Formats: sequence, C-alpha cells, structure tokens
Amino acid sequence: MRVLQGIDVADMTRFNPDRRAPLWWGILGLITIESAVVLTFCVSYMYLAAYAEAWPPSGEAPPLLWPSINLALLMTSALTMFLAGQAINRGNQRGLALGVTTSVLLATTVLVLRTLELMAYEFSWKDHAYGSIVWAISVFHYVHVTSIVVGSAVVAILAWRRYFTSQRQIGVVVDTNYWYFVCIAWIPFYLLLFWGPRVYGQ
Amino acid sequence: MTIETHAGPRDVIDSPEETAQLERTWHSPGGFIGWFTHVNQRMIGKRFIITAFIFFLLAGILGIVIRLQLAAPEQQLIGPELYNQFFTMHGTVMMFFFAIPVMEGFAIYFVPLMIGTRDMAFPRLNAFGYYVYLIGGIVLFGSLLLSMAPNAGWFNYVPLSGKLYSPGYGVDVWTTMITFIEVSALTAAVELIVTTLRMRAPGMSLNRMPLFVWAALVMSFMIVFAMPAVIVSSTLLILDRLMDTQFFVVAGGGEPLLWQHLFWYFGHPEVYIILVPALGMISTIIITFTRRPIYGYTALVLSVVAIGFVSFGLWVHHMFTTGLPQLGMSFFTAASATIAIPSGVQIFCWIASLWGAKIRFHTPMLWVLGFFAIFVIGGLTGVMVASIPFDTQVHDTFFLVAHFHYVLIGGAVFPLIGATYYWWPKITGRMMSEAAGKWSFWLAFIGFNVTFFPMHQLGLEGMPRRIYTYATEMGWGDLNLLATIGALVLATGFGVTLINAIWSLFRGQQAEPNPWGAPTLEWATDSPPAFYNFRHIPVVASRWPLWDWERDGERAVVTGLRNDRREVVLTSVLDAKPVGVQVLPAPTIWPFVSAVAASIGFVGIIFHPIFFVIAFFLVFFSLVAWFWPRRPWRED
Repeated sequence: MRVLQGIDVADMTRFNPDRRAPLWWGILGLITIESAVVLTFCVSYMYLAAYAEAWPPSGEAPPLLWPSINLALLMTSALTMFLAGQAINRGNQRGLALGVTTSVLLATTVLVLRTLELMAYEFSWKDHAYGSIVWAISVFHYVHVTSIVVGSAVVAILAWRRYFTSQRQIGVVVDTNYWYFVCIAWIPFYLLLFWGPRVYGQ
Repeated sequence: MTIETHAGPRDVIDSPEETAQLERTWHSPGGFIGWFTHVNQRMIGKRFIITAFIFFLLAGILGIVIRLQLAAPEQQLIGPELYNQFFTMHGTVMMFFFAIPVMEGFAIYFVPLMIGTRDMAFPRLNAFGYYVYLIGGIVLFGSLLLSMAPNAGWFNYVPLSGKLYSPGYGVDVWTTMITFIEVSALTAAVELIVTTLRMRAPGMSLNRMPLFVWAALVMSFMIVFAMPAVIVSSTLLILDRLMDTQFFVVAGGGEPLLWQHLFWYFGHPEVYIILVPALGMISTIIITFTRRPIYGYTALVLSVVAIGFVSFGLWVHHMFTTGLPQLGMSFFTAASATIAIPSGVQIFCWIASLWGAKIRFHTPMLWVLGFFAIFVIGGLTGVMVASIPFDTQVHDTFFLVAHFHYVLIGGAVFPLIGATYYWWPKITGRMMSEAAGKWSFWLAFIGFNVTFFPMHQLGLEGMPRRIYTYATEMGWGDLNLLATIGALVLATGFGVTLINAIWSLFRGQQAEPNPWGAPTLEWATDSPPAFYNFRHIPVVASRWPLWDWERDGERAVVTGLRNDRREVVLTSVLDAKPVGVQVLPAPTIWPFVSAVAASIGFVGIIFHPIFFVIAFFLVFFSLVAWFWPRRPWRED
C-alpha cells in the first residue's frame, strides 16, 4: 500500500499554553469533579437541615463578620492571581512572582483566621448532625486552601527563579485555574454555613 | 471535512535508523525497577485488564462457594459470619475491582489505538491510577485473609454499617477500598476524556469516531459526575465510624436515608458505567463480523448519550420500599421505564445491522448473540421491578439477584468476553482457538441460564437474598441445587476461556495485523503494536478508514513528528484539525511513589487520623518531585 504524506506538523508549536494544552483540560476535569463534590456536600447539608427539628440545635445562627472578611480576602487573592497570569502573558516575570506571592500570603492569612474561627466553634462534630456537617465542610475547604497555598508556593519559587516565560507557562495557567475554583467554592459554602441557618432557623 | 494534501502528494519512505530511534524513544525499560516506571498506555491498559480478570477469578470462586453453601438446605459449609463476608466481597470485588477497572483497561488500551495516537494525554497519571487500584485490591483481599473483610453488603447500608452494629475493621476496609477505586477511576476518566477530545488522528471528526470510543467517552463522563457522590458518602461514613460524627446516627439528628440517596446516586449510574462500554464493544464486533457499516450510527451514539443522562435519574428505584413521597416515586418509576427507550433503539439498530448480512459466526459474535438473549430477559425483569407494587413484593428476594445477574453478566460480561476474543490477537499477537471459544461460549450460556433462571422462581416463592441457609420445609432445595449445578457449568465455561487464553500465548496461531478484516485504526498497526503504536499517525477521511485504504490502495499519514522524544499530534475537539504538537513525558518512578504515599494515608486513617496529615504532605512532596522541571528545559 502506498503511504503518502498527508499533513506535516514539523513547524507546529510544541508549546500549548492556552486551551490547546491537554493539561488545561485535565485541570478542568479535576475542577468539574471537585465541583460535584462541593455540590454533594451542599445537598447533604440541606438534606440534614430539612429533616432537623432545630437548625442549628442551639437556635443561634453563627456570626457573620469573620467569614465575610475571609470571603473578601479569598476574592482579592483570586484577583492578584489573575493579575499574575496577565503579567506572564506579557512576559513580565517579576509581576508573576509578585502576584503569586501576594496571593499565597492572602490565602495564608485566611488559613490563620479560619484556624482561630474553628477553635472558637462552640460545638464539636461529635455533638449532633449540624456540628458534623459544619465541621466537615469547614475542614474540606480548609484542606483545599492549604493545598493551593503549598502548591502555589512552589509556583512562586519557580517564578522567582525565572523559570516561567510567556511561552512556558502552562504550570501557571493550571495553578491559577485551580486557585479560582477553591476561592469560588467558598461562596456556596459561605452562603450555606453562615446564611443558611438564618433561612432554615425561621 | 477534507484534508488538504500537498500538490502532488509525496511518498513517505522510512529509513531503518529512524524507526530504530523511534523504538528507543518509546521503549519501556525492562527489569524489576523498570516495571514500576512504565507509562505507555498499552502497558498500563494491559495491567488493568489482567489485574481485573484476576479479581474476577477470585470473586468468582467466592460466588461458587456461596452457591455450594446454598446447594442444599441447612448446610454448614461456611458459617453465617464467613458467608456475610463472602457475599459482601463477591459483590464489592465484582462491581468495583473487576467491572469498572476491566472496562477502563480496555478503554485505556484501545481508545488511543482506535483514534490513532501513540499514548494518552497524561501517561504518568495513568500509571498512578493503576498502582492505586492494585494496592487497593491487595489491601481488600488481605483483609479477607485476616478475617477482617467487610460484611455489610456491597452497598453497605447504615445503620448496619455504622459503628454500633458493625464494630471491627471490616466496614472501615470497605470505605477505604472505595476511596482507592474512586481515585483510580476518576484519573482514568479524565485521562480518557482529554485523550479522546484532543488527540484523535487528523480528520477523525466526532461523527467519525468509532462507537467503542463514543461509549468510553460517555462512560468517562458518567464516572466524573457519579463518583463524587460516593466520595462524599464514604467520607461521611468513615467520619461517623472513626471520628464519632453523627451524619447517619438517628440519636444525633443524622439521617440514615441520606446514605441511600448518596450511594445510589452513584450506584445506579455505576451499573450503566459498566454497561455502556459493553454496548460499544457489541457495536464494534457487529460491524466487523457483518463486514458492513452499522445501521443507524447517529441513533446509536445518541442513545448511548441518552442512557448516560437518564441513568442519573433512576437512583430512587432502589429505595421504593423506604417510604418516600408518592410523587417522587411516580417520577422515578417513569424514569426507570424511560431507560428502555434508548436501550431499545440500540437493540433495533443492531438487529437492522444483522438483518440480511452475511454474518460470520466466530466466537466474538457468538458472545454478542448470547448477550441479546440474556440482556433482553434481564431488561424485561427490569421493567417489571420498575413498577412499585411488584418491586415491593420481590424486594430483597432472589428475584432481584436473578435480575441483576442477567443484566450485569448478560449486559457486560458476555460482550466483554466476546471483546476479549476479538482483541486478543491485537494485544498478544496470537489467535485464540475457535473451537475452544465455542465450547466456552455454550458452556457459559447454558450454565448461566441454569444458574440464574431458577432464581426468579425462588424469589417469587419468597426466598430472601443474603441468607446463609434455609429450612428444608421451605421447599427451595431442588431449585437451589439446580442453580449450583449451573454455577459449576458456568465456571467451567469461563475456565475454558482462561485455558484457551494461556494456551494461545504459547501455541496460538500468529496473528496478522488485521485478522478479522475490521475497519478501525487499532488494526492498522502490527499485532501486537510496537511501543510507539503507529509508525506514522494516520490521517482519516471516513468512519471506516481501513476499508477505504483497502479500496484505494493508498493512505495518508502525518509527518514531521520528531523521533527523539515522545511527540503526538493535538487536534481540535469537533473537527480533529491538527492544532499543535504535544511532547509527552518519559518513564518515571514518581507515580508509583505518589500512589504509595496516598495509600499510606487511605489505609492509615483506619488506625489513626494523623495519617491524613502525614499522607497529605507525603503526596505533596512526591507530586512536587513528579512535576519539578528537569533541565534541559524545552526551548523550541
């Protein structure tokens, strides 16, 4: 059988920093899976709340101030992460390093605040289903913030060592997208954990 | 779509040096340590298939022991405790450690070959998924040897599986095992989706994709959306058991029914996750053994996609006896009946394809025809149990046992064995014996029906499932004895295939590249393929590329990929136009290290929560080592 030259790819790019990269799709897959996990946690919370006699059992809705501050910090960190990505698109390595480092510091602040908040919870996960689901969701998100902090710290180290360029930046794209997911996942959790009792309690 | 060819297409002529270099680039290292570094998709796929069949054998032996225990009334072959462990392990291993991984294994092996590429999108992740699966399976069977095996059934209902009623490690092992399978299945699913959407041979637009690839794609999407529910439910259960949370504890305000909702929201799609790739295998085999294009390609694709969607709306039909609201029950009855429509469309398309065709009755085709008979019976009893009054009557009886063995063995295992016969020459380079294959089929087909058909009657007579024995006066002895005899015949049938497979490795006839005259790309390369799969990535112009080439006497290929590193072509999602080249990673030990690190965490938390933290950082450091850029950095 004759074998003919159909398409020549010798001159095609070997760098695929945007949507063409398989890794971009891979991280989208991870985000989809984790979004379904977030949704399932939310549904479980609502299911337990719907069948509970009092939600929360103490009758007192949790305070709003610190969780709202955390929400603002996370959203700001997503913005600085976005700016970092824009910087490396223009080839600005210092801007990337600064942006990622700022985001890591903001998220670390969130971790400190969340630790203090968790220590101040007046109930344990052993007390009742409300305590169990609130702790489970809180720790679930806490672990995710921890993972983006340590993961992005590695990206920051590479960024300060000028590893990334406007071409070689798929690592940044992946890290940024996962960062957005963790920050946005806090919105439904925040609404449910801190505004939910005000709705179910009525 | 047409592929522009250069004015006056040039012949592609390969020098032996170039081929040798390509071989070296894609080579998987040998030796004991080398084994843990393999990343080539065919190596990983083959391991998934072999490991899954070993679990099939082990769980099958458990099934035989269960049948021997039930062969006559009031037997004491294995006591009630061991019986509980055996039926739990039988179901769990068959569903989680055989059915899902074997389908993934075939998809991992054949999807890249069928779409004409050299590996999958994330080769190292593939290896990671395999090791997690392997370690999980070893832990599970280890627990059986230590008499610590789970014993609360494969769906593990609370409160039975709660701490109060199931002390000991058994259920902890079950939840841990679920975690292993979640990780392994999800990595494979993402891998398959990205590979299928981005790495098809140029010209293979979505509407030219082989039907098995479509089925694998739908299966992968179903895994992505179904598995998260069981991630959450198994996490909540393990927290209840280890950290004293109250999710499913009524006294603490928990809701046992939440478990059933979450589990079956996963568990129902799960049975279709097993069925859907089998549907793809059936279409593939029918095309080849009728030697003509399939009838209703578009209808077949749409009905597979429809099955994927509808299967998410069925989970409550496992819960008809839990006292749910009337309206909800009606909805789920309707949805359960709806699934018959796309399934029916498939069957009719296949019948139309077979109608008037010159069918070649080789062994793979026989298993497919066996599927028709068995699956239709299983489907009919499925329509029966979709009706609530009938379901209430037969709930938790042997009628259900008969029903789901008809749909699972008939729907998945028969096509799977057919596909094994079909693809065996491609995997091993040897043909299996046709005569032995036919013996195997008839023994399995007769044995299967003798085993499971009487169970319908036993169920209608009121014999509940999951009892380790029954009184003589119940009058169930004769049919049970018949079922046990059938089980031994069925096992003999599968045993013949096992011997046939092993024998063929040494004595089987050498296979040509395309022994069946099939039209899809996996047959366009050697049997077994070289490490690089294809000497040149093919260019495709229809759904049946090999038949085109046979007719035209010529074919077009991609040129310009480098031989000194692992390069594959990236194409666009819909039209498969080439858009770039991806450099894939070489063999490495890090996926194995990461899998061990993750396993330390999964198993460790049974004994102490601190293992979660330990494993978190172990996995983190191994991932950093995995992804850390090595010099020389790519500069072009």
